[in-house]
Amino acid sequence: MLKVEGISVRRGGTPVLHDVSLALAPGATLAVVGESGAGKSTLIGAILGLIRCAAGQVTWTDAPAPKCRPALVMQEPRAAFNPHLSLRRSVMEPLAKQASAGDLNRLYRLCDGLELHPDLLDRRPNQVSIGQAQRMGILRALIAKSPLVLFDEPLSALDAATQKHTARLISDMQGQEGFAALIVTHDLGYAAAFADHIAVLRAGRIEEYSAARAFVEAPQTAYGRTLRDAAFSLGALERVA
Amino acid sequence: MIGALAGLVLRACVVLAGAAITTFALLWHAPGDPALSIAEARYGTIVSEEVLDFIRAEAGFDGGFWSAFWAWLVPLLQGDFGQSSVNGRDVWPDLVTAMSYTFPLALVSLGIGLAISIPLALIATRRPGSWVDRGAVALASVGVAIPAFWLGLLLILLFAVQLGWLPAMGAETISHSILPALTLGFGIAASLTRIIRSGILEARGQPFLPAFRRRGVAPRDIARDHVAPHAAVPVVTVIGLELAFLLEGLVVVEVIFARPGLGSFLVNAIFARDFPKVQAVVILTAVIFVVVNLLIDLIYRRLDPRMEGRDA
Amino acid sequence: MRSVAILVLLLFLLALFGPMLAPHDPTAINIPNRLAPPGGAWLLGTDALGRDILSRLLHGARWSLGLAFVVSFLGLIIGTVIGLIAAQGGKLADWLAMRVTDTFLAFPELIAAVVIAGVLGASTASLIFALSVTGWMRYARVARGIGLSIGTRGYVVQARLAGLSPLAIARWHYIPSLLPSLTVVWTGMLARAILGISALGFLGFGVQPPMPEWGTMLLDARIHIRSTPLQMIWPGLAVVVSVLAINLAGDALRDALAEEGVKP
Repeated sequence: MLKVEGISVRRGGTPVLHDVSLALAPGATLAVVGESGAGKSTLIGAILGLIRCAAGQVTWTDAPAPKCRPALVMQEPRAAFNPHLSLRRSVMEPLAKQASAGDLNRLYRLCDGLELHPDLLDRRPNQVSIGQAQRMGILRALIAKSPLVLFDEPLSALDAATQKHTARLISDMQGQEGFAALIVTHDLGYAAAFADHIAVLRAGRIEEYSAARAFVEAPQTAYGRTLRDAAFSLGALERVA
Repeated sequence: MIGALAGLVLRACVVLAGAAITTFALLWHAPGDPALSIAEARYGTIVSEEVLDFIRAEAGFDGGFWSAFWAWLVPLLQGDFGQSSVNGRDVWPDLVTAMSYTFPLALVSLGIGLAISIPLALIATRRPGSWVDRGAVALASVGVAIPAFWLGLLLILLFAVQLGWLPAMGAETISHSILPALTLGFGIAASLTRIIRSGILEARGQPFLPAFRRRGVAPRDIARDHVAPHAAVPVVTVIGLELAFLLEGLVVVEVIFARPGLGSFLVNAIFARDFPKVQAVVILTAVIFVVVNLLIDLIYRRLDPRMEGRDA
Repeated sequence: MRSVAILVLLLFLLALFGPMLAPHDPTAINIPNRLAPPGGAWLLGTDALGRDILSRLLHGARWSLGLAFVVSFLGLIIGTVIGLIAAQGGKLADWLAMRVTDTFLAFPELIAAVVIAGVLGASTASLIFALSVTGWMRYARVARGIGLSIGTRGYVVQARLAGLSPLAIARWHYIPSLLPSLTVVWTGMLARAILGISALGFLGFGVQPPMPEWGTMLLDARIHIRSTPLQMIWPGLAVVVSVLAINLAGDALRDALAEEGVKP
């Protein structure tokens, strides 16, 4: 459904992304892993059309409406919400002007699925915990039933316990709603546990692209092996199994 | 650096072109027929339609806005400010005479402003929060709120009417310039005091100064090398604002004290609807203003390396 | 914050209801009683045409303060719109909006206002036009500066992804964050407007006689500086007190906002 074909992005003459190609099937999960500075955020921007590509193209074949863009869950949960507005207003923003009874129904059902008390909707972003704010961010991404959701480091602002909980909830919601997810993360453990495929991004290029289990068992490149060993050296391999 | 300089100069040129067009557009849309006022100035009050047509063709009025603008701009770029539409005389010599009254007054006023504000700010910041400091701040706050024309009238009332020490009107002798210079100087001193004071306080609050002090660097050296340059940045910025204040103040002060400077020149030209003169003063003001602000920008970049390469 | 609101409200009320407190008709000419000293029925004396100065001052509040509110609000609207166009409209819009702003900044504001008001012909309408068209640039710069930093925040990106119109994004996501700083600019511009209105009145380009605007009153009083010097004290004092009050209120507001971490 999402096709990224040979995109390149330059910033001030220096290439940030070089000939990146990816594909994502409906309902599937792709994790893009890489160190900071590898071009992960730029990739998200390019897919969303916020950053102009020097070459290549991004196509989204079965978008619900012609000008529709994928939904996005951001790294910093609080910054993703206007501090002057209630969370309800921000969460409902992707919907058309007047929320119908069906929309409200869906809102409360999603709240329930994300383990958010509906009363939290009437608070401001600084009146909820970071974890709650991030789940609100996921709620906003899901409310308009976008079949494609991008996650930009969705866990990195959270503490360890909340990370686990949130990762589980994202996975559960995906099972319930059936959206395709593109997760950008530096956390290979998270990627390996929840993604179908893993793409390794290094200095703006796709270094390796394979099925998650295959990657964890036998990375194809030296860099992939380094990443794998670093992530699982602490006996964390059983997390996958 | 050269690139930044070229960029700034180019931007100044764009702004001046915009200023010229804006000014001309304003006068173009002003009520009344400019050709008629030129004709009346030259040939008396009763003029025929043919004469008007001749003047319109000569000044480019008949070709629409841009042709008239061009007919004004091209001589202007060669230093020809045109002729007064009231008496037909060249504008430039009269403008020079007016400037010869205005610029010395402006410089002296600025000098008075600096001579009052710098010592006052230094004394005030010796012990921030003391009654001396608060007094200086209060004085400056009141000073900023006093309109120049009222201060001028008060000074006339006190020194010319009540005490009879100084003349109130005219510009014949040095003593005629004292009250106008004081009027403007006090106003400048009031706003400068506030700015220099907060500049010094902010500069003293820089996080690395206590480390210097602990290491035994002499207070005098700290003041010279670290406090003064930092405090100079806002002062330089504000000189641009002071220039605006000065030019604005000159208009009213020259009117109050009946000085034949640029301000009176402008006000009289507006009342007489002598548009070539109005245009000349406005463009001259814009050139002065833009050039001074360009210089300030350059000095600013010099003083504050962080500004290097930053835009707007 | 509260002291600001109270002070500004007080001046606003003075502009609205000042005329009702006037003991006499401010334009009633009473030649036998001209240039009366303060005291008696004419608390602050009378002017050269025998008009009650106190009544003229109170009616003048409607012109001097009322017009200042109008002018500073118009400037606020023009400046915010231009600043937001610069911040939201992309590189070209930003360049154009900022060069237009620079062009208007190429003249000292009051001189530009004198020329515009004078050339258009002295009237209240040209006064309002002249002062608002020369008084929006600071708002524009502040709105653009803050707007550019807001534009990169997460919630604005989300709003754009959600397909909100630029107008809706401006209304809900930019303006609430701009308001504190714009209010500080506004207090400064309100004070400047009072000074500008009285300066134009004093030069003869502003509110026209017999309307009792404070600057116009000073122009009248100037002729009688020798015989009745007190006559020119009152309107000037009214200007100074108003401007001082607004400036102090603005300083207090700036300090209060700085404590909350908003940098105007």
